[in-house]
Amino acid sequence: MKKLLSLFVVGVLTMGFATAQEGLFRRTYINHTELGGLFGRVKYRPYQGSDEVVENRLSLTLQTFNGLQLNPRLAAGLTTGLDWYTAALITPIAAGVRYDLTGKRNARLFATADAGYGLAWFHDDSEGYQTRGGMMLNPGLGLRLGRPEGAAFTITLSYKRQEASVTKPPLWDQTERYETRVYNRMCLRMGIAF
Amino acid sequence: MRPTPLLLLFAVLTTGLWSCNDQCQETRVVKQMTPVTVSLMEIRRSLKTEAPRALEHPGKIYIKGNYLLINEIKKGLHVIDNSNPAAPRFVSFINIPGNGDMAVRDNILYADSYTDLVALDITDPTQPKEVGRVGEVFKNGQFEGAWWSYNESIGAINDQKVEYRTETISTNCEENPVMPGMWWGIGGAWRMMDVAFSSSAAPASAPGSSDGKGGSMARFALYNQFLYTVGQNNLHLFDISNPAKPASYSTVNIGWGIETIFPYKDKLFIGSSTGMYIYDNSNPSDPKQLSVFQHMMACDPVVVQDNVAYVTLRSGTTCRNAQNQLDLVDISDLSRPRLIKSYPMQNPHGLSINFPTLYLCEGQYGLKTFNVTDQFGVDKNLLSHMKEVDAYDVISLGKTLLMVGKDGFYQFDATNPRQLRQISKIPVGKSAI
Repeated sequence: MKKLLSLFVVGVLTMGFATAQEGLFRRTYINHTELGGLFGRVKYRPYQGSDEVVENRLSLTLQTFNGLQLNPRLAAGLTTGLDWYTAALITPIAAGVRYDLTGKRNARLFATADAGYGLAWFHDDSEGYQTRGGMMLNPGLGLRLGRPEGAAFTITLSYKRQEASVTKPPLWDQTERYETRVYNRMCLRMGIAF
Repeated sequence: MRPTPLLLLFAVLTTGLWSCNDQCQETRVVKQMTPVTVSLMEIRRSLKTEAPRALEHPGKIYIKGNYLLINEIKKGLHVIDNSNPAAPRFVSFINIPGNGDMAVRDNILYADSYTDLVALDITDPTQPKEVGRVGEVFKNGQFEGAWWSYNESIGAINDQKVEYRTETISTNCEENPVMPGMWWGIGGAWRMMDVAFSSSAAPASAPGSSDGKGGSMARFALYNQFLYTVGQNNLHLFDISNPAKPASYSTVNIGWGIETIFPYKDKLFIGSSTGMYIYDNSNPSDPKQLSVFQHMMACDPVVVQDNVAYVTLRSGTTCRNAQNQLDLVDISDLSRPRLIKSYPMQNPHGLSINFPTLYLCEGQYGLKTFNVTDQFGVDKNLLSHMKEVDAYDVISLGKTLLMVGKDGFYQFDATNPRQLRQISKIPVGKSAI
């Protein structure tokens, strides 16, 4: 996973530099800030031998992408934000790209991808608990509404995978207790880009 | 060219969305106990000296002259030649089933073996010999939370074998998922209970004889011609006027949850899960209770120095509400112990004092050294904190410090308490022969 991630980051950068050569294009700063929800479910057995219980999960997500428009289609930069999972507040720091798929129109389809690491910096643990973050991957598609030169309104639908782990205080007959988490969520966000 | 990334992304998205389930796995290592029955005959037969072996689950430590005894919980004793602290040498292993405590007077080692008290001649530490045995004196006990009891009708011990099992369950990704079949474990009133005593001053011994020194978790104590042992609810006296032939002398009922004993001057400090009992021992054959210092919580080892007792309270693995703290108790009036001040700690275990330096084991959080001259400012006088070790019990010998933890046995040069220097380490799983 780590290898894949570094490959992705290197890829993004080289792609940017390689394509930046074409035509008379001036690199501009770009910001893409979004707010939305992470939709998912969880299946578990409340106690041994019981039926599986399915619960819905919805978490608030906030993120901002700051980068450079490397060429008319591709922007690359850094994504950070906050994801409020039920029992973890994760701060992802990721390399991100936004790639325009449809050219100059007022409503454009674009691809978005962020990959990096989610940190549990701002998570306030209960006594005895220790939450750590993990790898984060967030590819998706979005719709950009607005004039090509100016600011735009965006809607994106993406898949988000966030790993995390928690060390918990052992219960009476235990000597060690920890949990590994993978949050698999469908992510619907709205935002602005300029 | 264009549809390819689009298709790819679409594929990623759809497969991703299909499985939008949070996947959380909780892994826990569970202590499992299986009942076993061992006959006394078998236990008594298996006491023998074996070749030195590696530490596995080190328990209490005891020092006598140049020799060091490290208990292998429930299995026996490692005899270590410590004449060169930089290179301790395993000498032998005494296989004593059900052993947890020990004490040494002159050349006689007293050890418990489930229900029996055994006396071994260790004049030749490579070949300890059994010289005496008092049978069926301890009725029950526990090792690592597993209780054993003596079944008189068949002459056997009903014991429990402790095993550690790893289990994984899927959870709801919340902080405290429902426990399969053990909800009653949450917030239960179970606590880790130990009270122990130790001191820099060696306990009084019978004239002309020499005693060893134990850690603050000890349940055995020597005083005059008596060996005091504490059981779950009583104090048992053994007459050792003839050291090789201990004889059961008397039993004093104290209360439930007795953990440790320490004689200081002519007093006995007995630690229990609810507090500390102070006994007047001016007549060694008949200790009399003077007072009780009651704790709200379970308490851990205590050290006594002159008029101050240093008591620690520790929360058990099951009791997250219990406090972790160090209490200073004024015992100038032994019939009326008074709290001086409480200091919050992380997870205190054994402790030892070499006034004005107090060594405090913080379990997985390491070893702390305090200067306790200012009774109201102990927290401000932290001299050092060694974090990278696991610390269970400690014995201060003035210039050197012996410490045992889950990961092994350590010796430190404590000439400068601010800067403990490691002299040697016997790691668990490796014998330093």
